[in-house]
Amino acid sequence: MTIEFSLSKKQEFLRDSIQNLTKFVIRPQSLAWDKAHGIPETFLRQMATLNTSMTSSTKKESGEKEERGESTGNFGMKNLDTLLVTEELAWGDAALPLCMPGPGLGGPPVRGTGTPEQKKRYLGIFEDMSESLKYGAYALTEPGAGSDVAGIRTSCRKEGNDWVLNGRKCYITNGARASWNVVFATIDPSLGRAGHRAFVVEKGTNGFSVGRIEEKMGLRASETAELVLEDCRVSEDCLLGGEASYQSKEGFMTAMKTFDNTRPIVAAMAIGIGRAAYEYARDFVKENYALTRHVPRVAAIYERLAKVGRNLSAARLVTWRAGWMADHGIANAKEASMSKALGGQAAIAACIEAIEICGVEGTLQKDHQLLEKWFRDIKVYDIFEGTGQIQRIVISKRLITNLKSF
Amino acid sequence: MISFEPTEDDTLMQSSVADLAQKALRPKMREHEKAREISAEAREAAFELGLGLLGLPEAVGGAGLGLRTAVALEEEVAAGDPGAAFALAGPSAFGTCLVELGSTEQQEKYLAPFAGAGGHTRFGAVAFGEDKPVVERAGFRTTATKKGDAWILRGKKSYVRNAGRADVLVVFAQVDESAGWDGLAAFVVKKDQPGVGVGERETTLGLDVADVGSIVLEDVEVRDDARLLGGDDFASSLLRFFAKEALLVAARATGLSREAFEIAREYVDTRKAFGKPIGHFQAVAFTVADRAMDVEASRSLVQRAAAAWDAGEPLAACLLHTGHAVSFALEAAMRNGDTAVQLHGGAGFMRDYPVEKLMRDAKQIQLCVLTSEQADQLAAAAELGQKVPLGLVLPTPETQSTLV
Repeated sequence: MTIEFSLSKKQEFLRDSIQNLTKFVIRPQSLAWDKAHGIPETFLRQMATLNTSMTSSTKKESGEKEERGESTGNFGMKNLDTLLVTEELAWGDAALPLCMPGPGLGGPPVRGTGTPEQKKRYLGIFEDMSESLKYGAYALTEPGAGSDVAGIRTSCRKEGNDWVLNGRKCYITNGARASWNVVFATIDPSLGRAGHRAFVVEKGTNGFSVGRIEEKMGLRASETAELVLEDCRVSEDCLLGGEASYQSKEGFMTAMKTFDNTRPIVAAMAIGIGRAAYEYARDFVKENYALTRHVPRVAAIYERLAKVGRNLSAARLVTWRAGWMADHGIANAKEASMSKALGGQAAIAACIEAIEICGVEGTLQKDHQLLEKWFRDIKVYDIFEGTGQIQRIVISKRLITNLKSF
Repeated sequence: MISFEPTEDDTLMQSSVADLAQKALRPKMREHEKAREISAEAREAAFELGLGLLGLPEAVGGAGLGLRTAVALEEEVAAGDPGAAFALAGPSAFGTCLVELGSTEQQEKYLAPFAGAGGHTRFGAVAFGEDKPVVERAGFRTTATKKGDAWILRGKKSYVRNAGRADVLVVFAQVDESAGWDGLAAFVVKKDQPGVGVGERETTLGLDVADVGSIVLEDVEVRDDARLLGGDDFASSLLRFFAKEALLVAARATGLSREAFEIAREYVDTRKAFGKPIGHFQAVAFTVADRAMDVEASRSLVQRAAAAWDAGEPLAACLLHTGHAVSFALEAAMRNGDTAVQLHGGAGFMRDYPVEKLMRDAKQIQLCVLTSEQADQLAAAAELGQKVPLGLVLPTPETQSTLV
């Protein structure tokens, strides 16, 4: 081993083919998707065939790894590969990575804590998406519990062989269209984390309904739903991992395990959007700030550009490192949070600075719609999957002795 | 393949250098600072490890190791004492300069003595900076005038590290005053040549264990074969020298960041206020988390840039990565030094604790070789695919002078 940053032949091929797709197919449709306010179904259907072939070609490999307990990303790719692909997709369209069919954020908890039967039942449906797009989703956030995940109020009580769920979940990506949601509930709020249970609730279950679809500042091509559980009755084999696995703090840890895997991916999305804005500003400078003669204050513009560039580069490297650690079975909770915190911040700054660099022109929807779109899209990257502040809590708990809570 | 795991050889070397840094440099940090030099004993121990020579070609007694190894070792030395990283014996910047600008014969001739016995007493220097801009034109005041097959150097160079200690140095001078930056040339000058004088040693805010001074040149005659031509393209070679040397400084800045961070982290664990360790307050804990990210990001960027040079990536890519690493790591070092003092409260201001020194060293490191501002200009020019504007990128009295 040695320290190096070159891509393998396979990774290069993967990146190059996705770059072709994003440049010639995705980016040109990005604004239309944003205006249409909904997931780009037609495009995703076209892509589904490709996804299916990707899944089946890598399935054998990933199956072996999962047996050995190694973590695998989407489509059986290694974490690092997933990060490379995700950055490119987000470069093409900021909302697209969130619209990709598959188990989504619901995947890691099912994969990580589901019983063999549950894994087969819930993950098996994604093997063939040639007929229709299929989604899984992850329902944790509630109107009264955002960062304070432990404070969820959605209740679950055992009745015979069933569980009865009551409560509201909000801001659930793909929650409305998902074949199933991993729903977090509590047997008793006073128990805190120990009272948490995770259920897989299938679409069409009695008592499960979709509330409103949110209108958002950005990422408008991604669908965000409110879910309502009113005496929603599920059988006991929907309890993720089975009752025995909740004797410890597992319930809450199930929620958190998801984040170690997904935070670097979300960081990669942010970096892809930030890079898009950065390159846009760079090209604007090239074309408009003529360099054949002296332009006043051009050095100040250069400095702004370089600051954006270095922060994106730093975030990307830390994100790669978090992914690399996961691929090598090294615990990476701290690094995963670092990547998310750095990626979100760097990308938000990139989208803000890109507009500043272009001047007021950058705010004109007529000519620079992408810039104003990215500005709207990026903000939530320092909020969802753990705000920047939550990342700092995760990081500092791993640096400061005996720090349990503030 | 993307990989963050160093080779076994590098890991071994890194741990022996860390050992030296923590046992021979760290405990003597204040002593060395007071004496304003690194003890002969510590210099000898470092020389025996091969420090300072590792990156030089094997032909001149170096180990021919790449920058990835070099930056890892520089980080360790600086974590022990940032001052030592600038004050240990060896060719230092003179070595990098010879490798980038000199011919193979010149490298052998001038660098071989550093590898021989008594190497721990030999220092090299690069006399680049000047303290006053030439208002009417770009470039420097110091001139080199052709006289037969020799050159006559006249002028004064400032902010020269090892000005007093070096017995051999590279002097930059204008061979063509009308050509601005294109009229710049480099010459190897020996300290004992007639006309070479050393100004008074400066006292600096930080890194004062390093010797900083000026070189006065009064009609110094050097032979034409002492001129470093920089291959086909002097400007590119000059940029490579500054970029690589600045990357080593960025690695030292990372070592400083790491050490300041570790000291602060230990302190917030033990210092109590309002009935609990101060690290248990969010305002403190979040600051610690931010500085941890600074260390992590600095190291990754430095490694990335070093890997680009080692892999022979195109010059623009190397300059881009180096620009990012340098500007980030230098600013992160200042943040880390500042935070470490701040979290110590009043105690941080006292010389009983090491953090005030690290904070002073951090400011000084930001003014070594390339500043963040210059590194940003470098990265932007590389990103925009432009000819690098030397006047904005290199340290000059017109923009910002640095210690080289």
